[in-house]
Parts: sequence; structure tokens; C-alpha cells
Amino acid sequence: MASQTLKAKPKRAIPVAEFVAHIERRRQETGITDLPRNSGENRTESKKALLKAIKDAGGTW
Amino acid sequence: MTAYRPEFEAALRLFARVSEAMKALGFQAPVLVGGAAVEIYSLSAIATGDFDISTGAQDAFEAELQRNGFVRPSGPGVATRGWIHPELALGFEVVSSTLLDGMADRERVELLEFDPDGEVAVISVEDIIADRMGQYASGSAPDMREQAQRLFILHNQADLDYMDNRIRFESGGDYGVADLKG
Repeated sequence: MASQTLKAKPKRAIPVAEFVAHIERRRQETGITDLPRNSGENRTESKKALLKAIKDAGGTW
Repeated sequence: MTAYRPEFEAALRLFARVSEAMKALGFQAPVLVGGAAVEIYSLSAIATGDFDISTGAQDAFEAELQRNGFVRPSGPGVATRGWIHPELALGFEVVSSTLLDGMADRERVELLEFDPDGEVAVISVEDIIADRMGQYASGSAPDMREQAQRLFILHNQADLDYMDNRIRFESGGDYGVADLKG
């Protein structure tokens, strides 16, 4: 199985600022500023209930 | 602060503190998967409403959430396995005990340091792209291919061999890396 044969070395933690800088650079190079959203049609009942609870708590995301 | 949405970064920092507590108890760090991982890898080019978590220590993780102010939503007709933080208005839900049913390589998990709160473990970009392509291949999530394609373009240093194998597995052999191009 691929996931068991293509092992990588354990990673070190990357400072988030360094990680962000790379993606910011790639966003500028590629012009990608948004991604299509999940339609939500496949959400489980548990997920729908959780998202409703977040919305009821004032969550705006 | 970083370029992430402020409320998203606050949630990540909270997750980092919970993760550090888990490690201090002797557990592996819980891993962020799903839409929140896509938001991390796209620098909030998409906003997600909740955090999907993979951990083999669900009870310990949820106990730690409660110590950090999370509650289980309750009320008539409310049935969720998730937890919300009423003040921060964010939610977490354990969705699996192993990464993508054990098919994702744990050693490829990305570790992000959110000093001083701790580390956040995120499913690898190769695996989240494969996950999106698997959803696309199921026929029920047509937008996921474009999401995967844009992540692929942003992360041009990804391991293509590993990603190709993972996409083929998640899509039942129907797709591979070549389907992310063009």
C-alpha cells in the first residue's frame, strides 16, 4: 500500500510565520485568492447540528 | 498575528494549547483534517465553520476541550458529536480515530508552531488534496475537484508520487495527479 511504503522523515515544526510567507508568495505568483466552498450537501446530521449551534452562538464563519 | 482570519488564528492557538495538553498526558497530538486544513493551506482563501479532528484518544481530547471552556450543544432536537465554545463561537468535532481511515501517512503530518501556544498538527497537503479528489470521485461533491486543483497549484512542492498514489486510492483508481492539471 502506497501510504505504508512511501515513508517520509518525521517533520520538524515550522514557525507559522514561515509557513504563511510561503503561501502568501504562492498566492501572489498564481493569483489564487479564493477556493470554491463545499456545498454542504453531504454533511452528517451531527455536523449540521454543530454548525447550527455555532451560528446560534454568534459564529459568523 | 498572521494573515489568517483573526478568529481562525485564535481557534488554531486554542487547538495548539489543547494539543500540547494532550501530548503532556502521553497521547499523540490530535490532527486537524477537513475544511479547516484547507483553510490553513489556502491562507483563509476559504472560511470554514468548524474544526474536524482525527485522534485516537477521543475521550481525553474531549475532556481537554471541556477544561478549555467547550460544551456539548444541547436542546430539543440537537444531536451532535461536536463541541462548541460559547464565547468564541467555534466548534470542534472528532471525525475519526485514524487519519483517513489509516491510509494517510502519519509521518507526513505538518506541524506548525504557534509560539507561545504550541504546535498544531495538520494533515499533509497531499492527503487533503487526495481527500478532496475522493469526495469529487464519489459524484456528490463536484466543487471539490476545483478546490483540490487550486491547492495543488498553491503547493507546488508537494510530493507528487505520494499524492498520486493517495488520489488513486481515494478515488477508487479513477483519478490521479494528472487530473489536477488543466
